[in-house]
Formats: sequence, structure tokens, C-alpha cells
Amino acid sequence: MSRSGPDTARVAATPDADHVLPPAEAMLWAQDLVKTHRGAETATHAVRHVDLRVDRGEFVAIMGPSGAGKSTLLHLLGGLDRPDSGRIWLDGQRVDGLSEARWSLLRRRTVGIVFQFFNLVTNMTAADNVELPALLAGMSPRQARARREELFAELDLEDRARSTPAALSGGEQQRVALARALVNEPGLLLADEPTGNLDSRNTRDVLRLLARYHASGQTILLVTHDARVASGADRVISLFDGEIADDTALHAPADGPTTVADVLRLKG
Amino acid sequence: MRALLRWVRADLRAHRGQAALMVLVTAVIAVSLILANALLRDAANPWQRIFLQSRGAHVWIHVRSGADTAPLTRLDGVTGVAGPYSTASADLVRGAEKVSLELRAAGPQLPSVARPLVRSGRWLDPARSDGIVLESSLARAMRADVGGTVTVRARDGATRTMRVLGVADSADQGSYPDWTPGLGWVLPTALDRVEPDPAHIQQAIGLRLRDPGSADFTAQQAVTTLGSGQVTQVTTWQQVRSAMGQDNRLLGLLLGVFGLVALVAAALATAGAAGGRVLAQVRDIAMLKTVGFTPAQVVRLFLYEHTALALAGMALGAGAASLFGPLLPGALGEAMGVWQAEPARAGALAATGAGVVLSIALATALPAWRAGRIPAAPTVRADRPASGISRLARLALLLKLPPALALGSRAAFHRPLRAGLTVARLAIPIMMITVALGSWATLDGFQDHPRQLGLAASLTARPSGIDDAAARRLLTEQPAVAAAYPGAEIPALVPGETTTITLRALGTADHPYPFALAAGHLIRDEDEAVAGQGALNLMHAKVGEWVRVTAGGTPHILHIVGRDIEPDHNGEMLSVDLGALAGPGGTPKAQYYALVLRPGANPTAVRTDLLAASHGRLDVRPVANPAAQLGLVRVVVVGLVGVLTLIGLAELVTATASGLRDHVRDLGVLRAMGLTPRQVTAIIVTSTALLTTAAVLAGTGLGVLLSNRLINMEGQASGVGAGIARMPAPETLLMAGAVAVAVAACVSVVPATRATRARITAALSANRT
Repeated sequence: MSRSGPDTARVAATPDADHVLPPAEAMLWAQDLVKTHRGAETATHAVRHVDLRVDRGEFVAIMGPSGAGKSTLLHLLGGLDRPDSGRIWLDGQRVDGLSEARWSLLRRRTVGIVFQFFNLVTNMTAADNVELPALLAGMSPRQARARREELFAELDLEDRARSTPAALSGGEQQRVALARALVNEPGLLLADEPTGNLDSRNTRDVLRLLARYHASGQTILLVTHDARVASGADRVISLFDGEIADDTALHAPADGPTTVADVLRLKG
Repeated sequence: MRALLRWVRADLRAHRGQAALMVLVTAVIAVSLILANALLRDAANPWQRIFLQSRGAHVWIHVRSGADTAPLTRLDGVTGVAGPYSTASADLVRGAEKVSLELRAAGPQLPSVARPLVRSGRWLDPARSDGIVLESSLARAMRADVGGTVTVRARDGATRTMRVLGVADSADQGSYPDWTPGLGWVLPTALDRVEPDPAHIQQAIGLRLRDPGSADFTAQQAVTTLGSGQVTQVTTWQQVRSAMGQDNRLLGLLLGVFGLVALVAAALATAGAAGGRVLAQVRDIAMLKTVGFTPAQVVRLFLYEHTALALAGMALGAGAASLFGPLLPGALGEAMGVWQAEPARAGALAATGAGVVLSIALATALPAWRAGRIPAAPTVRADRPASGISRLARLALLLKLPPALALGSRAAFHRPLRAGLTVARLAIPIMMITVALGSWATLDGFQDHPRQLGLAASLTARPSGIDDAAARRLLTEQPAVAAAYPGAEIPALVPGETTTITLRALGTADHPYPFALAAGHLIRDEDEAVAGQGALNLMHAKVGEWVRVTAGGTPHILHIVGRDIEPDHNGEMLSVDLGALAGPGGTPKAQYYALVLRPGANPTAVRTDLLAASHGRLDVRPVANPAAQLGLVRVVVVGLVGVLTLIGLAELVTATASGLRDHVRDLGVLRAMGLTPRQVTAIIVTSTALLTTAAVLAGTGLGVLLSNRLINMEGQASGVGAGIARMPAPETLLMAGAVAVAVAACVSVVPATRATRARITAALSANRT
């Protein structure tokens, strides 16, 4: 499987790049992404000319200190924010020019997102939070319920279905958020510091779940500042001041998925 | 759609109280609009119904006995003629009660134009020459039933007992007692017996027209054709209709205006509440977008939710109005009963409902649109440029006020646009409450200071069967009577005009009647007159002008020196000194005496005393006070103040919540800096109280201006005349304002304390959106 590190990506960003087709095996392909946050007097260059490729079934972690532009990059890739310039292909489709509404439609089936602060809809029960995207994607209430029950069984949330987010612990909330992100079986799971607000036990649980879904073929792009969390990935990209500083493969994909415990042992 | 419904359901469950408040407010507004609609229809309808069924005449003309009315039937546009009928004046007597009556001679066959609609009993019968058919409002007032007898007293004092054969509706004139004399039909032979002198017989002729709008023109043509000396009275269908509908229509209009204002206020409250909810749910909305809601779907969420609430409120209101409306006491209940039987009801209900729901949907549109524009990612927003402290806060610091006050005033006004909007939204209900208080004060004015509002005399006494001197003696002997002014009223024709106004001679040169003047001065000379607004409108005249009227065949040229407030007869009154009617035979006899009582005297008691002292030879009646009829307005005012208070409270809750959201991080910083929780609470309460004070000042000021203008406009339109508006007493306004500020402070204490209890770290890490 080819890697598109910074050097190879720049080659692709030629003037007639608009006619370039993404490689068939790329789930996500971004070229020359730029995003600047402009304040009243200051401009923060959050993302500078980033090229990135995530293949199907790959688990990629983006690491970096706070303020490195990790979350901004993730938001750009999930269509939550718009790049100033650059191109993005998602599942073979050019998406950087999509309208907000088209992005919403795309996210329903193709992208699941998990956040650091869980961001569950506060008024809705855990069950409703998970069934809502399923209904949006066109499932019948019966199907949505069946799918949600299946996920809750996997995530050990069966007895929390009627609870509101406020009544759930942090770990439970993040598992509900994970269920919500996965309910429509998206091609890509984006996770923004999913363990940032959890204690070590819950962190371990969430990572184990991510690893399990990765093992079943889920493509995952995870943002974290925690090296231990990143170590579960196939590949770790280091972001510094909005630029990719390093792109390292941890395991050959042929090795198959690894468990967090393996990684932790490896890294010492 | 399913996902949308799922969210709406969850949201409603989470905000049960707020949702219930919205539904309740909408329901109350729906009820008041439905009641207004029913009253308005009821006000316009009885006449319309009767007029259609009876093929009513558009113009009625009373002429002297000898006049030839044949040319009238040939006037252009006349499609049918009623009469001419011979008529005579008489009195209908029942115990001590006596009412003036127009007896109209009719045949045993019902006419085809202006046909009386017999409601009970039967029409005149040649076999019963002593039979009489009474107009239904008169029969009701006299409690005369079919089969019973009534006593008719002729002009010469002779009495005659007549049997009531039937009771009939008629669109020929307004209902008794608003319209006098009352109407009764008898056979021509009976009329001849009651009034044997042909000189006192008049003729009444009704003209049915092709174009009802040309009634005024036709009436004028008729007067020209016959000569104004022959015509004694002209009425058009418009006058009859307005006389029949006036009371309820005024009430209906009031309810309608109040309902609409409440609707606007509720729409604003909805906009505020929805806006507040959008701000409160920025994170959730961003999340909804993340999981795949499109911006249009987010807009629809809010629109659907509030429209559903409005629909629920509307259904509740319509249900309540239909179920309980007819059970309401008085005119409201009756109107609702009639309304329910009406076929047009469904349409009116649908229109009202659509209006209410649409306004609320429109009010939600802006906040919903804003919700649609909330970005999907919780993006980093550049901090607002640090706003300097406001002028008010600077002043507070300069005056070395406690920090809570200084910071509170900064918190209130540091975002001027938002503060302005909050003040405006709060000011609207306060303004309307002030208008409602103004209406209340005006009614109080009618009741407590009737003299200033054209009701100096509270009783009238009409001598019957005793001479003038004896009557005068009886009145002056009564200690409670401060003054008795001799008066006479005759219909007067205004040249070039089609309708008659009442020429009232009241008071004498050395004993002038205390008219309540809104402009000009009192009558000082015999050719001077004061006129009510209604009369001025009819004559197209202004104070200071000269007018010519014909009364009783005699032309009078009068100088209008003042406008007085006339609560009666739609203000169509031209008042002169009794001497002005003096002919060659000297000053005319007084028809009645207007009695001004001593302060504190009870009119009912005085009336009883006078009736007893005169052995029934003085017909003493209380002067109708419009405040008595408008008693229902007070109920409406109280209800309105309730609704507006509810709306104001809803606004206040929104304002406090959004204010807190704005400042939650600042408050955390302040606490971290060392302000005590109590000081922080004080800052929030001060900020809310300051905003409310600004709203009270603006709302009360505008309200007073608007109230005076609205009430005077109403007075002018109803003929009473501008100048009746009374301001709510300053202490009432002060009290209301103080209560509003106090309530606002109390309402903000709860969320303020809650905010103070939140952990400082939580406040500091709060999302700043």
C-alpha cells in the first residue's frame, strides 16, 4: 500500500491537479489544504498546505501539541468547516466545493464524527441520540431501533437507552457518541480527541472499541495529543504549527490489526 | 421528517413549562379574537338579518299630514315604497313607567316593503280594533307579552287600553331605548281614536332603493322635492344600523384591537423565546448538523415546533371558546350563542386560526433562520473587541456606587443593540398595559366626574299631567336636587344634509346649563349654540362657524361657539339656550328638566323620592351613562392586563436567560477575581432591573401618548368627541412601574443564584458562543 507523505503529495499538487483522480484505494485524499482563522487584528494559520491520504480500512492518528491545527484539520475533512483553499476527495468524490446542505447529506452515510466533549444532543435520550442519524439516513424507525439496539449491546449500553446525556457518565456518553457515529456504518470515522475528557479506564475502553471496529474494516482518522492513544493506529502523522512534520507507519498493514496492549508493550 | 419529529418531541419534552406557556398565551389570544369576531358579527348582524328578511326601506321620511308624498315614489332609484303610513305620538304607560311611542297605522295585510316580521302572536286583525303590535325591543323593555294589555296615553291625556296582538321585528328604526320613540302598529281606526286631531297626524314613508349607497342623495332629493318645511324627520339605513350595533361593535372593536395587540406582543415574545432557545442550543444545533441535518432542516425544526405549539394553542382556544363561550354572562355569551349557529363561523374560525398561526410562524422565522446559519463545527470565534465600560457604568463608578451596581449597569448595556431589542420587547407589553390603564381611567372619569364628560345631569324629569310651575316647585323642594334646567328637544334638519340632528334647548340665559366644553365657550346669547362632535361631523362645521337648521318648520341661524362632550345620541346634538326657541308666543314650555344633583346624592334614591312626591306625575329617568354599558370593557381590560403580564413575564425570562448566557464567563472571571456570590447575584439582578426600568420608562411614556390619542380617536369616531381621555393617575403608573421592576428583579434572582452556584471552573470553561 503506497503512502502519500508530504513529498509525494506536493508532486500531485500541480496546476492541472483539478483533473487528477484520487487513487481507488483512498478513502480520504486531501491536497494543499489551507485554513486561516482571522480575528479582528490577528490571523492564525491553523492549517498550512497539508496533503493527506487515508486508505480504506486504515487507522491514522494525527498528533501534535495543542494549537497545532489538529482539530481544524479534522473539521475541514468532515465538512464542519471550509478550507480557504485546497482539494478534498472523500470516497472518490470531490467534496471541497460542496454546499453546507450537500455536506450534511454526505455526512449522514459517509462520515461519522466523535468529539472530545461527546456533544450529545442534551434534550434527547441516549437511544434518540443514536437513532436520529439513522432516521435521517432514511431508515425506518423499526430498523433504526434494531440497529441502535445492536450497537448498544456491543457497547454495553443496553440499560442506558432511556437516560438523558446528563444522567450518563463521561465514558457512557462517549460510547453513545461512538454508537451515534457508527449507526449508519460510515466509510470514515473521524475522532477528535475522543479520550481527552475521560479517565484512564474509560480511555482504555474507548480505544479497545476503536481497535475492534478497525479490525472489522472501519477506516478511522483520530486526532490526539496523547502518544499512547495514537500508538493504536497504523500510521501516526505529526502536525506542528499547521504543517505535517512527520508521517510514520507503526505497523505494516499485512501485520493485521493490533491491540492497544500490544502497542503499549511495544512503546514501553 | 421522522428525524425532525423525533427532535421536536424531545425538545418539547425538555421544555414542558415554556411550551405550555406558549400554548396558553396563544389560546388566550385565540379566545379573545374569536370573541371579538362574534361580537362584531353580532353587532352588525341583527339589523342586517331583519333588513334582508323584511325587505327594509333604505330611507324613512316623516312629513306633515297634508304633504303629497306621491312625487317621492317617482324619484330616480326608488324600487319600492312603504306607506305612507299615518303616525301619531303617544305614550305607553305601565305603572309609573312611561315611554314615548310612535303609533303607526297599518292595514291588516302585511306590506311587501319594510314588512314587520311577526316574532310571536299575530299581525293586526280588523276584528280586534283595540289590537296593537309592538316592536320587539320595545315589547321587551316594557315586558309586554302577547295577549296582555298596555295602556296608551294620548296627547290630550286620555288613556286607552289596548291588547298586544303580536310582537314584531323591524329594521325601520333602532332598538328601544337607544332609539326613541318606540314603535307600535295599530289599525287606522284605532289611530284616529287616539289622535282625533288631523293636525297632529304625520305621515311616514319608506323608500327602498336600487343602490343602498345612494340613500343620502335620495334623502336630499326627497327633502328638496317636498320642501324642507314639510319634512319633519329623515333617517337612513346607515343611522339605524349604527344605532342597533353600536354598543357591541365598540366592545368588539376593543376586543379586536386588544386581541391584535396581544397577538403582536405574543409574536414578539415568541421571537424572543425562540431566539433565546437558539442561542441556548448552539451546541446542540451544531451537533445536529454534524450528524447530517441540512441548514434547511434546522430551520424547519424550529418552524415546525413553534407552529405546532401555535396550532395546539389555537385548537385549545377555539375549543374553549366554543364550549364555554355561550356560557359567558351578558352580551358576550349571547353573541357567542348566535355566532355558533352561524354558517359563516367555520370560515371566520379558519381565518382567525390561520392569522394567529401564521403570525407566530413568521415571528419564528428569523430565529429559525439564524439557527440554520449556526456553523456545524464549534469553531473558534475571535473574541469581540473588548468593549469599554458604558457611560452609565462610568457614571456609576464616578458616583462611587457599589461594584455590583457599576458592573450591573455595564452588563445591562454593554451590547447596545441587544439591550435595545430587549428593552423594546419588554416595552411593548408595558405600553399596552398603560393604554389599558388609560381606558380604565377614562371609564373611572365617566363614573366619578360625569360633569366633566358631558353628564352633569344624572336625572331627567318629565312633567305629565301637572303644569310647569307645579313641576318646578316639586323639583326645587327636593333637597338633593342642586339645579333643575328646563329643556326641550326637537329634531332639526340641516339644509343640504339628509339626516336630522337633535336640537336641544337646555338652560336659560340667566341660568345656563353647565355643558362639558372641549373647545370654545358656553352659550351667552340666544343665537349661540354648542355642538357635539357628531353634530359637527354631520354639519361639516367647525367651532366659530354659523349654521342654519330648520326645527319644527322654523329656521334657526346659530353661531357655534363651542364643542361639548356628548356621550348620547352619537354626539349628534346641537344645544341652545331655551330662549333660542322662543317664537311669537314667548319662551316655549319645558318638555323636561335636567336635574343636577348635589354631590354625594344617590340618583336612584332621589328618583324614588321624586316619583313618590309627584304621585307619578313626574316621569323621572336616570341619564344613561356609557360607563355602565361599558362595564364589560373593565373585564376586558383586566383580562388584557393579565395576558400582557404573561407575555411580559415570558419576555423577562428570555431576557434574563440570554443576559446570563452572555455573561456567564465574565461572571466566572469576576468570581475568580474575588467578588462574593452575593455580589455576583446583585450584578445580574441590577442588570435585569436596569433593563426593565428603561423598558418601563419607554413603555409608559409611549403608552400615555398612545392611550390619549387612541381614546380620543375612538371618542371622535363615536361622536362623543375628543377630550374624554383620562390619563392614568401618576401614582398608578409609578406603582405599576415599580411592580414591574420588582417582579423583574425577583424573576432574575433564581437564575442568578443558580449561575452563582455553578463552579467557577465550569463558568470559565463555558463555551463562549
